[in-house]
Formats: sequence, C-alpha cells, structure tokens
Amino acid sequence: MNRSARRRAKLLDKVLPWLSVIIFLLAWELLVRWRGIAPIFLPAPSSVAIFLWRMLADGTMEYHLGVTLLRIFAGFLIAAVTGIALGVLMGMSRIVSHVADIWIAALYPLPKISLIPLLIIWLGTGEAYRIVISAVTAFFPIVISTYSGIRQADRGLIKAAEDLGANTRQIQFKVVIPAAMPSILSGLQLGMGVTIILIVAAEMIGGSSQSGMGYLLISSGQVMETERVFASLVVLAVMGAAIMKLQQRADRIIAPWVAHDNR
Amino acid sequence: MDVVVEAVTQIWGEESTQVKALDQFSHCFRSGRFSCLLGPSGCGKSTLIQIVGGLEPATEGRVRVQDPQKAYSHRPLGADSVMVWQNLNLFPWRNVIDNIAFGLEMRGLSRAERYRRANALIASVGLRGFERHLPGQLSGGMRQRVALARALIMERPILLMDEPFAALDAQTKIVMQEELLKIFDQTHKTVLFVTHAIEEAILLGDEVVVMTARPGRIKEVIPVDLPRPRSLEIVSSKEFGALFDRTFHLIREEVTAAMAQQAAMVAAQS
Repeated sequence: MNRSARRRAKLLDKVLPWLSVIIFLLAWELLVRWRGIAPIFLPAPSSVAIFLWRMLADGTMEYHLGVTLLRIFAGFLIAAVTGIALGVLMGMSRIVSHVADIWIAALYPLPKISLIPLLIIWLGTGEAYRIVISAVTAFFPIVISTYSGIRQADRGLIKAAEDLGANTRQIQFKVVIPAAMPSILSGLQLGMGVTIILIVAAEMIGGSSQSGMGYLLISSGQVMETERVFASLVVLAVMGAAIMKLQQRADRIIAPWVAHDNR
Repeated sequence: MDVVVEAVTQIWGEESTQVKALDQFSHCFRSGRFSCLLGPSGCGKSTLIQIVGGLEPATEGRVRVQDPQKAYSHRPLGADSVMVWQNLNLFPWRNVIDNIAFGLEMRGLSRAERYRRANALIASVGLRGFERHLPGQLSGGMRQRVALARALIMERPILLMDEPFAALDAQTKIVMQEELLKIFDQTHKTVLFVTHAIEEAILLGDEVVVMTARPGRIKEVIPVDLPRPRSLEIVSSKEFGALFDRTFHLIREEVTAAMAQQAAMVAAQS
C-alpha cells in the first residue's frame, strides 16, 4: 500500500463506526415516520432527542443522574475498601484464607439480587438498602481478584527481594502487594460494573426515595412515556461509558508499569 | 571470601517423582576468583548457586562461606552474597533508581543516602538520564545493567550470576561481558557465574568448572591462565583456542548424555 492509500484506510477506520451509528439512527427515524409507528411503542430518535433536551433543561435528568452517581460511588467505595482489605489479609494469613474460603465459596455463586427481599425486610427501602446490595455484590469480584493477585505474585521477585535483604513484612508491602496491583485493579473494574447494575436495579425495585435513574426509567415506563425511557437509557449508557473510561485512566496513573510490563 | 561446597546433593520433588539435580558436589571457590560453572541444561548449575546464596536449602551436604584469613565464620549463608538472576527479576513498578536502591531501602537508609549511592552506580554502569524510567521502558542491555547495579550496591563480597547474559543479543552480550570484566578487575569480588556458553566461560573465568549431565557432578576443573585485564581480543589467541577445544570435547559428551536423558523422559511420559 502506498502512503495515501494507507491514510485513506486509516480515515475509513475512524469514520466507519460513526457512520454506522448515523445510518442506524437515520433508518430508525425513517422507519418510524414512514410506517407511522406510535411514539408510545417506538419513538423516533428526533423526538427522543427533544425529550432528552427538555429533561436536561429543567434539571430532572441532572438530579436523577447525580443521585445515582452518588449511590454508585458510595457502594463502590465500601466494596473496594472491605474487598481489598480482606483479599490482602487472606493472602497474608493461611487461617484467614481458610476461613474466608468457605464463605466465599458459599456466597459468591448466589445471585445477589435474590437478597433484595431480605435486605428490604432488614433495612427498609431507603438509601442503606441500595448501597448495601451494590456493595455486597461488588465485594466478591474485588476480594477474589485481590486474593488471587497476591497468591500469584511472582516467586522470582519474592526471592530476589529476600536476597536483597527484605524481611517478611517488607516483602509483603514492597513486593507482594505492588505485584498484585494489576489484578486488584481488574477486580475493581469488575466491581464497578456490577455496582452500576445493582444500584439501578435497586432503584427500580422497591425504591421509596423516588429518585435515581432506575426510578426515572421505571416511572416513565409505567405511564408509557417511552421517549423518557429512551432518553434515560441514552444517559445511562453515556454514564457507564464515562465511568469506565475514567477508571481506565485512573488505572494508568496508579499502575503505569502494566502497559509496558515485559521484564 | 572462600565458598566451600561440601558434598552437596539436591533432590527435587516428592518420593515417586524424585529428580536428583546435584550429586555429591564438592568444590572450593577461592576468594577473589572468577569461577564459571559450565554444563548442559538441567545439570543443576543454577540450583548450586541458589544453594550457595542461601535461597534454597540443600538436601544433603553443606556450604560454608569463610574469610580465608579466619578459621571460622558464623555468618548465615546468603549474608555475604548477592544474586544476578537469569530473568533479572527487576521490580516492574519501580523505576531504575528505586530498583537499584531497593536493598538499601530494606536496610532502612534515608532516601538521600540511597540516592547518593545509587547515582554513583548509575553513572558507572552508564544509565545516567534513565533514573526515572521503568524497567519495561528499557532495552534488554539496559535492564541487565540495572540488575547488575542493584546487586553491586549491596557491596557484598560474593557475586552469584545465573546465566545473566543468555537473553541478550550478540552485540549487547559482548559489551556486557567487557563491562563485567572491568567491574571484576576493579572490585575483585568472588564470582560464581553460571553459563552454557563455552566462549563466555573461558573469556570471563579464572577457572571453568565443567559439570556432568544430571545429576550434576564435577567432570573437570579447567584453570584459565589467561592474563588480566582481559578484553575480547583474547578470543582469537592460540591459548584461548586450545582451552576452547579442550572444554568443547568435555562438554560434548555431557550434552549428548543430557539429550539422551531428555529423550528418555519424553518417551516415558508418552
């Protein structure tokens, strides 16, 4: 390939994905208009855009999005702190890992959504219930990734540190935990994913506070305001993508060696 | 420091799958000399220097590290030696200077003192300007220098090297060998250097300990009386050629034996 052809191919690589989105939206719009599909069943993208704009203009979208984000970060923070702490303890102590193993084996496969009735009985339908259900769900992938990262820490690095005079404590804190960092970060990514799911689901089920994206979705759906449902879905998708991007960027700052790790 | 190895036998694995890596290995590695351990792969040479470094316990026999001027030494094995690993084992999350200063940090030295000493070594191994780079951002030769500096900063009298240049390309290897010769001439450490390259063993060593195929024993110790300081030109000398031929014939038998062993193992598994 000569240079101009290669440049054209590169441009095509960039343009084509967006082009597919535009074509899809256009086809959707035309289909709805030509066939006269009722907006209650499938609104046209243009009217979804108008609704989205109105909801942003009067502040409802910002309010619900803000509430959901706060809950997500609260649940995630609790899961991250407790999950990493227990994972590290399990990696350091045989007793802790033996005891924790049986609990994790029993509770991890349980779909956490099935705990919702119990949590509502115990905690009611307020903030505590939503944050606990998301934290409990996110806790497991985080603790498991942390523990396996610590157990799989490179034996060679541990031996090298020992040879250079590190004691057991120093090996734990200066070698094993940093070596487990990539695994901990990927556990946090998994944890963030399920936190988002569980918060939105908990807002849909038995939420008494009447706030958050999940509430917005379910309340709009119940009164057949399909445009609002679609507008909320668009915002949720953008929110999820933005959180993931932010997390990847944070990972690169926390563990810059992972990208070019080829000792 | 003399390294006295007395009848060391090393057996790996559980009872049914036991592999004897070393068999009654005895040798005195003299203080201030550069000894190369040469043998076919799997002959236990890496195991031996790990035992000497106190990083693996020997199944039988013992290793003493002692000052030739004193009768006894009570220092624990490993306290006077430091290892340069085959796969380097650099800490990928630490930059060059913090990798090199790792041992000093473990000793509790202040950051200023650590960096002062590390900077002196960084200059002498030619890494200036790369202090803040991570190992993953360096070339193979530069990573090798970091590993060497990280060992040298410990200022221990015995340097254990496990095929440190095996992964380098031919040109980089030559440069590193010459630098190691220079460092050896300046510091006069006791060096145990594992290799399977005959040329490298003769170029660097004061003696070449040729080992047998597994279980590793000494087949012959070849003294290398080539003058120091040495450089790469020595490779084309007549004396070097004679030593090479002699070593080559010894090692060929053992490599053939090792290959037969491996073939038998593969056959037994299938």
